[in-house]
This record gives sequence, structure tokens and C-alpha cells, in this order.
Amino acid sequence: MPDVAADSAASASGGALVPFVPDTEIAVVYPLHHGLKPPITRVSISWARGNNLRVSLLRNPPYNSDSDGEIGGKVVEVNLDSGAADVRESVQWRRIAYGSVTPFALLQSRKNSASSLSKLQSSPSPFHLDWWEHVMEYSKDIKELLGNPKSNYDPLIEDPKEVLKKGEEPTSLKAAWELMEMFYADKLCQSWLPERLVDWLADYDCLLSGDQPTVHSKLVEFQGTLVTLQVIEDDPKYWEVISSALAIGWLEIVVKLLRLHGSYQLDQLGHRETENGLVETVAVLISMMPRFRPELKNGKLGECFEAKPDFMKAWEKWREQITKLDSSAFWVPCHHRQTREGLKNLIQIMLGNTKILCTATAHWIELYISHFLFIRPFTAGLEGMYNLAQKCVQMKPMSSPHKLLRLIIGIIGENTEVVLAECSRGFGPWMVAHAIELLTARSDQADILLHKEHDDIGGISMEELHRLVYAQVLTSHFLTWQIAPVYLTSCMKQGMSLLEFLLYRQPAQHNQLLLKNLEICRLYELDHVSSNIMKVYEILKRILDFIYQMNTPSLVSLSSANSLPVAFVDSET
Amino acid sequence: MEKSVATLDEGTTCTSWNYCGQRLATGSFNGFLSIFDSPDPASSSFTATSKIRIHEGGIVKIVWIPPEYGDAVACICNDGSLSLWEEIAEDGQPLQWKLCETFHSKGSTVLEAQFGVIRTSLKMVVAYSDGHAKVYELLDPFELKNWQLQAEIQNVIDSVSTFGKASCFSASISWNPQLNESQEPSFVLGFNSDTPQLNSSKVWVFDQAHHRWIPVAELALPLDKSDQVFAVAWAPNIGRAYELIAVATHKGITIWHVRLNPDLDGRLSLEKAALLSGYEGEVWQMEWDMSGMTLATSGTDGMVRLWQSNLNGAWLEQAAFEPTS
Amino acid sequence: MAITNLPKTPKIHRIPQPKFIDAIRWLSSPSPFQKSFITSLYDSDFHTPSLEIHSLDPSKTLTTALFSWTPPSRISSLKSTPSLFAASTFLGSLHIFKTPEEMSVLGNDMSDLGSKTSDMEPVVSVVGREFHVGSVGGVDLMEGGSECVSVGEDGRVNLVDERGDFRRVFDGNGLVSYSAVKWASPSEFVTGGCGFGLQWWDLRKSGAAVAQFKGNWDHGTTSGIIHSIDIHPSRKHTCLAGGSSGTVFAWDLRRQQEPMILSSIGSSDTMTHPLSESEVWEVQYDCYTKSLNSNISSSRILPAMISSEDGILAVIGQGEEPTELLAEPCAINSFDIDCQNPSDVICSLEWESIVILSRP
Repeated sequence: MPDVAADSAASASGGALVPFVPDTEIAVVYPLHHGLKPPITRVSISWARGNNLRVSLLRNPPYNSDSDGEIGGKVVEVNLDSGAADVRESVQWRRIAYGSVTPFALLQSRKNSASSLSKLQSSPSPFHLDWWEHVMEYSKDIKELLGNPKSNYDPLIEDPKEVLKKGEEPTSLKAAWELMEMFYADKLCQSWLPERLVDWLADYDCLLSGDQPTVHSKLVEFQGTLVTLQVIEDDPKYWEVISSALAIGWLEIVVKLLRLHGSYQLDQLGHRETENGLVETVAVLISMMPRFRPELKNGKLGECFEAKPDFMKAWEKWREQITKLDSSAFWVPCHHRQTREGLKNLIQIMLGNTKILCTATAHWIELYISHFLFIRPFTAGLEGMYNLAQKCVQMKPMSSPHKLLRLIIGIIGENTEVVLAECSRGFGPWMVAHAIELLTARSDQADILLHKEHDDIGGISMEELHRLVYAQVLTSHFLTWQIAPVYLTSCMKQGMSLLEFLLYRQPAQHNQLLLKNLEICRLYELDHVSSNIMKVYEILKRILDFIYQMNTPSLVSLSSANSLPVAFVDSET
Repeated sequence: MEKSVATLDEGTTCTSWNYCGQRLATGSFNGFLSIFDSPDPASSSFTATSKIRIHEGGIVKIVWIPPEYGDAVACICNDGSLSLWEEIAEDGQPLQWKLCETFHSKGSTVLEAQFGVIRTSLKMVVAYSDGHAKVYELLDPFELKNWQLQAEIQNVIDSVSTFGKASCFSASISWNPQLNESQEPSFVLGFNSDTPQLNSSKVWVFDQAHHRWIPVAELALPLDKSDQVFAVAWAPNIGRAYELIAVATHKGITIWHVRLNPDLDGRLSLEKAALLSGYEGEVWQMEWDMSGMTLATSGTDGMVRLWQSNLNGAWLEQAAFEPTS
Repeated sequence: MAITNLPKTPKIHRIPQPKFIDAIRWLSSPSPFQKSFITSLYDSDFHTPSLEIHSLDPSKTLTTALFSWTPPSRISSLKSTPSLFAASTFLGSLHIFKTPEEMSVLGNDMSDLGSKTSDMEPVVSVVGREFHVGSVGGVDLMEGGSECVSVGEDGRVNLVDERGDFRRVFDGNGLVSYSAVKWASPSEFVTGGCGFGLQWWDLRKSGAAVAQFKGNWDHGTTSGIIHSIDIHPSRKHTCLAGGSSGTVFAWDLRRQQEPMILSSIGSSDTMTHPLSESEVWEVQYDCYTKSLNSNISSSRILPAMISSEDGILAVIGQGEEPTELLAEPCAINSFDIDCQNPSDVICSLEWESIVILSRP
């Protein structure tokens, strides 16, 4: 489906960090392959299920019945939507569609009961969860659909040279969902958002390597050459990837790489004692890095401090230790130039040297993360985060930013319309319809914006519009059309009418489908629709009555007046 | 992106899908009516299951009758006749297509016919080459033979205007696809003719009190009133306060907002919401999707185009498809 | 619902499938550790139906199908016995296969199975408009018997023998339609159709049904179609039927006018809370659930399992609180209780997945 919100984003983001290219006046032209011998003299169109368009392409009829032996035309069906970006397999997409029904319906029913409850009592009940907590439950269910969490399975014998662990292939759908969850719904991580972003980048940096390299892609590349390297510390690449990994806070990888340093080898220890001492000291310092966050996942390095004063104290002390090491006398007897320079570089990163951080990182988001870690750990508030992002984008400009990066800018720029537009453009109707719940979880402002009724789109809100658009995507497939009613009935103004049109367009001559239609009518109390469906069906009875007049069989009493005459007679010849 | 759902015989001149897109009727230059079916509703592969010759000349257009009235089609042939064909079983025979009724008119030919279901009654508007249109009503829902002429109208907003003998090349009719039974039946009618007064699209509403059809709105700005109309399409309304009607002329496609509640003069309030350009030639066909949010069009340039409004109410071409072999 | 009736909840394994599942049946297997089942699938991307045999190891993981066959259209009904299974189609054909065990493939060398899919071919195929016009509503194979009965939406009742010849028992000429059938004895079977109608046929008395029943408790307000029938070998005079409006009832030939309703929204006298309000797609006697009431008289209805359009899989007994085994957000199209190990139930869900329940 063409994105409904893209144009409004273009106007809403005037003067923004990453200016949107407004939708060009000229629409994209797609080829429509038919395999007929030209010329095509007539093209006729008809909407099929949902967003499927059937196009009949007709050739000129032969003159004077002179056949040229060609077929006369083709009917082709074009599907105009993709349910969700990144999901190439239709099976996988349907699984997401099925799986999101229950969490969505549950959240809507909670919303309804919460609103009816708030009408009854003025103060919120202490026995009930805050709304954002319900949204977080919903978010957890949705995230599970988008990919399983990385397995914590650790092999018994760990490969010392395996720097990057292979986890599941992350999807940008999940990456985008997590971004919105952390900024809009998860109240608990608001005090440590920068560190939360560090975690996010650790999971999804690999998605950003497209035309531009990332720290992740550098590491993957280096990992490939690792086995062939004889003297690892002589290779400038070794020091380069270590500083890159350190810059974005992948501490355990840094420490692991440092301990591959040749000076750790038993036969070398004797004559490289000082050198080894320096490497180990840096590794220890790195693993002791104070982190301004409540906790770290198993196996992650650093020391956590939740209270700002405690963190401050630890941070100062840590920096003092680094400075002391930097000016220590042990560097003089360290004769291995690459080691000396490499370690010094790491020290500069830890001390927050902007220039070196800039060299060590590839994308602006990586530079951004390194700022949080080593320069401005107290960056708080979206305004501060936005200003910092602006600075990083200036230092590392990109010609065509990744859709996830555009989404981040929209989020920290506090522009809900841009976020919606980016969601719609980059991640498809499924994402928008479901992520709206995150956007409105804690923000009254977003709530007002999304529920404001727009005259130009027929008097519905953005929330309703995006649900209708998604429901129509669902109706495009014969296996998912029957879950569209769940979304349509959550649309206050136009959902029920669209549902009626949808039911009216379902084929009535097939038993199973007919019963499904009647079941949907029963669930949503659409008695007038079911009587119409029955009427369409009853027309077949007329045919039967005719036969009845012609020859009265012995068992006619079995066919009761109310029964469904089943005359699905295919005219196969 | 595209997949083939049916292959058509040589000489096919027109195609038409039924209400649920599960049956396809095609007509040919030598008068054959073919019906295509799929093995089950999940499948989208259609093959011809019956083929009969209904006319000596060519079939120009096929329209399915609404499903409440059975499996039946109206066929307009190149001699200007209109005939109704129904699939029925007789004498214990399997289902067959049988002729129910033929509509002839002296001195003029049928250009277009469309069906509307309003409060359990089936109506048919037929437009003729002399600029007249007739509204028929089906008397017995089980007898597609029994049609009663309800009204004969001339597509002018002002009944006193006079003009000579009209000659029309094509006509476009679109019923208000309402599900809401409380509304009065209405349709929009436009002509492509040599008579300026007839051309512009008019919205016709049935006046229950006086039992007659009255033109309540003219969908054209003063300067465009004589423009020949190539196609009209009334959008499904799932809850808008106004109706959306698309009208195609040589100037482009105009999207009209029509407010249903008439003002004191009995006229509907009109607003020209957009003029979509991009077509080089004539628009052949316009089809609204189920939600009334997307308009699909085809035309003499062979392109299929999709149009949508954005949140600011600006209509844009969202995508286009160019047939290639 | 009294889920607490059971001491422990069943173990539930969900196996998502890339295709829509029309029907599913267990196949008998020589080893309790290597179970297998047959399923009829529909690939919505390529619009192709298939009939596949899968094996299930104790970890309940599915690998490649052992056997596969492409039917002419989607499968409308599927039944299995230890030696044979039969599948009917929407296009009116019937196909009978020998089970892999019967072909003595399983139980011999299993080593090369599971890595690739072998083709299987029906031993009997009946096609053509003389047989059925339109969808075959139901088929049933007689346990150890030689004939397969098929009923259709066209109102025809046919018997197919092992050579593939068929004979017409009755032709309703499209005035009636049948959607379910079940053998009661080698010469008797019961059919079900519209208007909650059941017909008892005796092959020794040709021409018409020997007894018939029409449930009118919905007063003609619903579709009233019987979707599934079961008859217990120990009580051949009683027929269990499930259909529209959550209706499950037993019809005893000896008391033809007094059906015993187990669940229904149409009847207020039997239960206050019906188990389901929508279509009951499948009913089967559940020999695993022991009736709480020790008084097992022959007039008492044995516990029965049902699955429904609104996602319920449950066991109901006469005068007892039903036990809900599954409550899914989508329809449970079909299920089968393993006759060798009745604690195991396999179900097919509308949302393209298989669920296996192992009851404690």
C-alpha cells in the first residue's frame, strides 16, 4: 500500500536533521508482465480481495475471423501491499499477523475496561497496573513474534578465536519495535536511555551495514582473517577493530581480543613482561568501566551504578586510574611499537578524545553511542540527545541514511508525525497499526495527535486510518482475511461499515466460507448482514424448487424449509 | 508482483468479475459468452467452465447482476441490444445459461446498464444513444423476466432546456454503493455526446414522496459543463460525512465531495476536491477499492494508475503499471 | 470450564506449518516412539493441495514428509483405519491408500526415511460426475471392512469397493446434502446433513433410509449442519453428532424421538452454559476420559471430545461439567484421538499449525 502519511511527514519535518525527500509528483511506474503479443488494445480493471487488483489485458479481435493463433488476452492479479517490511516469506508474515491478534485484542479490551473504570472513579485504583505496564506486556508478546531472544546457549569448549557470537539473524522490524518500546513505553529505562541505546546498537549494528561499513562488519571481516594471522599484534587491523569495539562499548569483545595478544603466550611471557603488564592493565581497566545503569546482562563487562553520585565517584576514580596509567613510566620499556600505540589509542578513547572516537566509529549512530559512553554519560532528556545527535550527524554525514536511523531521528526529535511516516514507509502497515499503542503508552501529546479526527481523510483519526489500512492488507489474503474483523471492530467510526462491505464480498456458495461469514456476523452482532448472506445463498433454493416441481423424489421431506440447499454444482465439463 | 489468473480466448472484447471475484464472464467479438471458475474459493486460477453463443455480432459489455438475484449477467451487444442471461437448472439438467429478457429500443441503441440494490428491490439504469436513460425495477425477485419501467429521464439538470436530436457515443453510470438502507437510492450519470447539456455528470436521487427521479447535483464547474464524460465512479462510503464521486473528462479526473443532506433549495452541496491529471488520452474505467480510499483507473494510454489522498486531503498518483510483454 | 478436573494439565506441543491444514489423522504405527500421522494441506502461495504422511519422534519435531501425494483439488474429508486411509476432494473424487505400515515400509528399514519425501499412490481412485458432483461431504472406511462410503453435497450416497467400483445407494438429486457419514456395522451407516438431520441406512433394505431424525430445536434460525458423526463399537445403536450452534447430541435408535443433547445454544433445558456457540467441526468418543459416574449403563452416553470454530477442544460427558483442553484464538478444524494410545490427541488449527496434546 502506498504510504498514507509520507507526505505529511515531509511538511512536518521542515528544517529537520535529516530532511525527507518529499514524495515526487511522478509516481513510480511498475512493469506489468503479461507475455502477450502486442498490441494490447484494451485494459480493464477490477478490485479483487483486499489490495489485489485484477487487470484484464485484451488484444485486438481478429478481423474476418482470421485467427492468428494467438491467445486473446490475459487476466493478471497484482498485489499492491507488503504486510511488513523485511519479511520476505509470506509464511513468516502470516505468522506475525496471526500472533499479533491476541495481544492486540487483549490490549484493546483492557483499554475499554480502563476507560469505563475511569469514568466510574476519579482516582486511579491502586490495585491496577499503570497503563504503560499493560503496554509493556503487549510489547513483550509482539517482540516474541518478531524473533526469539538470542539463545544463552554457551558451548562447553569455547572457541578462543570466536570473537563474535552467531545469534539469530535480527530483523529491522524488531529493531524498530525495540526503539519505540524503550522511548515510548518502557518507563523503567527512562533514567538510563543512553545505556539502553548502547545495548540496542550491540544487537542491531549488523543491520546498519549496507553500503557503509559498521563496527560489526569490520569485526566480521577481521574474524575471517584471525586464524591466518601469525603475530596478531603486528597487524594494524587488530588495533583498529579493538578501538572500534571499545568505542561503542563492546567491552567483552575488546577484552577477549586483547588477551589474544602475543605477550600472553607462555614462551613470550619472559621477555615481554612489561608489555604484557600494560595490555593486562588496560584490559582490567576496560572490564571495570563504570556504567550508569541498573544492571548488565550475564557475561557483559563493566560495573553498574544506578545512583548518579555513586556513578560520578566511580567514573572520576576510573578516569584518574586511566590518566595515571597514561603517564606511567612503564611505557618506555615497552618496545613493541604497535602495542604501545594501540594501547595509548584505547586510553584516549576511554578518556573521551572526540577525534579518536570519530576515527574509531563508522556510522553517526556509533559515534553517538561512543559519546554516551566516554564523553557525556549524563546526557538526559530528548532535547539533549537530539542536540548531540545533530552534532554526530554533522561529523559523519550520510547520503542515504538507513530507515532505522531515520526512525531514531524522528523519535529523539520528538516528532510523532515523522515517526509514523517512517514506520509506515520503512516497516509497513503492520508496524504502524501495532506501534501506535507504544507511541501513546505514556504520552498524552501523541495520544491527542493520533486521536484527532481529520476532515480530509473522512473524519477519522490517524489511529483509525492505520488500522483500516492494515485490515485491508489482511483482507488481501484468503487465510488472513478472517482476522481483519478484530482490527475493524477496534475502529470506532468506519470499521463496521468496512466489515460489512468485506462480508458482502465473500463468496457465499461455498459451505465452509459461508459458515465462517455467519460466525463473524454472530460474533459482531451483524444480523442484517447475515440475513443478506443467507439471501444470496437462498437464491440457489429457487433452482431447487424448480427441480422439485419437475420431479418429486421420495425423500424430499428431508429437505426442510430452513435448511441450506447445497447446490454447489461446479460446471466442470 | 503480478501473477496470471486466467488466459482468455482469441477475440475477447470485454471481461467482468462477479461481486466476490470468484467468477469471470467474458464476451467475444463473435457473440460468445464465456464463464470462468476456480476449483475452490482459495484458488486464484480460473478456467472456462461454460461457453455459449448469445449473439451474432460482438458483445460490447457484460455486467453481473447483484448476487441476491442469482448468477446472471446483462450483455450489451454491438447492435445496441441488451439481454439478460441467467444460469439455471432445468429438467434435471446441469446448470445452463438461459436468456431471460431482451431490451430493445426503437431508433436508439443501449450504451450502458448498471444495477443497484435498494431496500430489497433490484433496479437497473439503462442509458441509450439518444441521450435518454430508463430506470427499470424488478417486480418479482425470483423472476428476472419481469421488469417494470419506473422512469424515463433525460440527463439534464433543468427540465426546461431544449435541444435537438442528440447523438451519444458512450454513457457512464455508477450507483451509490450504499449498504445503509435508510438512504434514498441514487446514481450518477454522464454522457459522451454531441449535446453539451447532456454531457456533464448529474446525481439522480429517487424522491420517495413524489415517486420520481430528480437530478440533485451537476458535477461540473460552469466552464466544464459541456465536457464529454468518459467514466464515472461512486466510491463506497464507510463513514465519511460526504460522498466521493470521480468523474473523468478530457481535462482529467475530478474528485467530487458531495454532501448528502440537501440544503433548503433541495440541492446537494458540492466541492471539487481535486483534479487529477496525467492521462494523455481517454479514461476507460475507474474503480474504487472496498474502503473508498484508493481509485484505480485505466485508459487509452494502456496504463493502470492508483490514486490516493494524503492526510492533508491532497490527491496524488501513488503508483502506475505499464503493461509489457 | 473445569480445567481443574484433571490432576495435571496436558503437555501441549505446537508445530507451526507453512500451509493451511484441512484435516489431520493419526496413523497406526508399530512403535509407540515413532508415531505418524496423515494430513491434508493447502499451499496458499502456490495454490496447490497435498496429502502428506509425517512421522513424529518423541521430541515432537517434524522433518520432511515421509510420503506425499498431490490430489486433484483440496481435501474435504479424511479418514483412516489401521490398514487404509481415504480422502475425498472438493471436486468430488475419492482416493483410497494403503497405510505405510500396510505397505510394510514403516517398521522395516527406517534409516533412509525422513531424509527425503517419497511419492505415494492411491490404490483406488474414483473420479467423474457420475460419482459425485461438487464437494464430497464425508467418507468413512469400515474397520477391517472392504467398502468405503461417501456422501456429497449433491445428495448422493455411494459405496466404493476395493477394486474401485462404486454403486449408488441413494441419489438426493441436490435436494438434500450430506456432510458427514459413519459406519455403524458392516451393513449399516449413518449420514448427517442440513437441519440437524441424521439418517440411518441399512444396506439390506435399499431405496431409502430406515430411520431419520431432524432436530428442530433451533427453530430454523441457524444453518443447522451436522459436521461430524461418531459411533462407538460397543454401542452401535447410538450415534453421536456435532454441528452448527455448538450442538452436540446423541441419537439412540431405540428412542428415536428423544435425542440426548450434550451441548447446544438452542436448548435451554439441558445446560445453562454451552461449550461453544459456533460450529462443532469434529466429534469423537474419548475412551481415555473415564466417566466419573461408575454407573455405566448402556443408555448412558460415553464421554466425547469436540472441537469447534471458536477454538475449543473439550471433553463432555452426560450430566458432567465439560473439561476444556484447549481454548485457541482461531478455529480447530479437525482433531484425532490416537486409538493405540488414547492419551494423545492431534489437532489442526486454522492459523496454519498442528497441536499435539499428551494427556497425563
